[in-house]
Amino acid sequence: MSQFIISVGREFGSAGRAIAEELAKRFNIPIYDRHLITEIAEKTGLTPEEVEKYNEAPKLKILSRRVNGYSNSIEDNIAEMQFEFLDEKAKSGESFVVVGRCAETKLRKYPALISLFILGDMEEKIKRVMKIYELSEEDAKSFIAKKDKKRKRYHNYHCSGHWGDSRLYDLSINSSRLGIDKTIDILEQYINSRINK
Amino acid sequence: MTAAQIFAVIIFVAMFIMIVLDKIERHYVTLGSGILTLTVVFGICLRDGKAIWDTLAIKGFATKDFWYQVTESESKGINWATILFIAGMMVMVEGMAKAGFFRWLCMKIAYLVKCKTIPIFITFMIMSAVLSMFIDSITVIMFLAAVTIELAQLLKFNPVPMILAEIFCANLGGSATMCGDPPNIIVGTSLGFSFFDFLTNTGLVAGISLVVSVIFFYFVFRKEIASEHGSNIDMSKFPNPSEAITNKKDFAISSVIFGMAVILLITHATTHLTVATIGLFIAVITLFTSGKHAIELLKKVDYKTLVFFIGLFIVVGGLEETGILELIADFIEKISGGNTMLMIAIILWVSAIASAFVDNIPFAATMVPVIQSLAATSGVNLNTLAWALSIGTDIGGSATPIGASANVVGTSVAAKNGHPIGWGKYCRKLAPATIIVLAISNVYIIVRYL
Repeated sequence: MSQFIISVGREFGSAGRAIAEELAKRFNIPIYDRHLITEIAEKTGLTPEEVEKYNEAPKLKILSRRVNGYSNSIEDNIAEMQFEFLDEKAKSGESFVVVGRCAETKLRKYPALISLFILGDMEEKIKRVMKIYELSEEDAKSFIAKKDKKRKRYHNYHCSGHWGDSRLYDLSINSSRLGIDKTIDILEQYINSRINK
Repeated sequence: MTAAQIFAVIIFVAMFIMIVLDKIERHYVTLGSGILTLTVVFGICLRDGKAIWDTLAIKGFATKDFWYQVTESESKGINWATILFIAGMMVMVEGMAKAGFFRWLCMKIAYLVKCKTIPIFITFMIMSAVLSMFIDSITVIMFLAAVTIELAQLLKFNPVPMILAEIFCANLGGSATMCGDPPNIIVGTSLGFSFFDFLTNTGLVAGISLVVSVIFFYFVFRKEIASEHGSNIDMSKFPNPSEAITNKKDFAISSVIFGMAVILLITHATTHLTVATIGLFIAVITLFTSGKHAIELLKKVDYKTLVFFIGLFIVVGGLEETGILELIADFIEKISGGNTMLMIAIILWVSAIASAFVDNIPFAATMVPVIQSLAATSGVNLNTLAWALSIGTDIGGSATPIGASANVVGTSVAAKNGHPIGWGKYCRKLAPATIIVLAISNVYIIVRYL
């Protein structure tokens, strides 16, 4: 397989992004996560802060409406621009890693897609979030719940499948079981097997 | 309340909520609700086969009145004339878009005013209103907003105020004619009005409002749209309008067909051809002249919207047959205390406020039987109520980003090109303009009809 696209869905605090970054490094391919925000900002003339504000955010349904594929919701338009950007990249034959953005569904038509979902035990996720964001245990717990709720709403609005449902992904893995490094090793092995199939 | 009335209301309310929630595509929502109305309300509760046939209104196709109408008549159930007309216009518009008509027109006008931002701003507002009198506002805004952004990049001005003004004027222009906005087609075909009836009633107030709106937007936006180039514009750098034309023969044909559609619509009270006949004729002639591209044009027709209309008419038919709409009419009469001026103000402002937040098509379809009943019981002229309803639903939609299709399309095109328009930015300018036009319309109706 000359082209391979690794999509990484993740629970907040499961180290999904860190795992995706390490995979991109090991396979020497670009990663689209925050970089997508910069790309979209450059393309549209918006500031990265503006794009960030609406990034992976679910819209407020009562304040938005859709007509013939057009939507007044800025969140919808930013999401669609990201989907289009990823689709163009996939179509161009480029190999890359993408974090979130419903990529496991939006890029499903490409045989090069290898879709992963990283989950974690709540205790481990809390520990990680407490350390990174310097939060108390209680605050970390509610922060995780808030972030995951947002991701779930965003995903389930834009896709027919449910966020985190193992049937949507080629491989779902709990990063708390073996730790981040060993999880990455296993994923690398799996991706290599897929590439060399 | 009877079981049939309860179910008719439940289905209607659930349909509205589902449309707002936008989880399931709206045409599936109305079609599903329509099927439920036919089976539960008419079949199980009323056990009335005749009501089902009346609502489906299929036999209407076989009547002469459907195609050639000498005397005004009112329709009930599925308004097939509306559906046929909209379908016909969709085919024609697809043909025009394919030939490059809209892009050419926008570029040509920008050229004629020497690409100066203020004249472009004013002419685009007027063009938006005039085109929307005959063509659906979605198409008008789709092309106008795209060209506005293109010109804004070339001339270095902020396109947002211009797009907002174009959206407002598209909705205003749509209110001027029978075919300008779906609520008007529904009101017109349901109550037997002609194109000219609308032009001389809602059209007149739309014209007055357009003048006021252009002045209003000029003063509100003039600083924001000032070009960085000032008056030093190098015309040689701009694309030639003729480059927009994809095929000269197709362009000429689509222009002639559009001209024919306009003439047929303007004269339909004299020729007695109904809008259904005009829609069908325009579609057939467009398909016939497009040769091998006919299938392509047919594929591009927005069937989802047509199905949405069919389902909607059935659900409203359920409310009508069960007498719910009469109850609403009685309620309006009661709270207005028989005061005609208050009754008209209620119809105008409630329609406007409702249309600012919910789709104005189901609202208008529901309100037509209500005003019929209101006119019958209160003695107020039906036409006056109809104009208040049309203006309220058409203009009220401009107040918020979700009030009308043109608003959604315009803000979406702007956002995709790096100019997101949130609720605050939108409502700060267009809500006051909407209130001004509604106030003008209210005074106009009182002065002219009471």
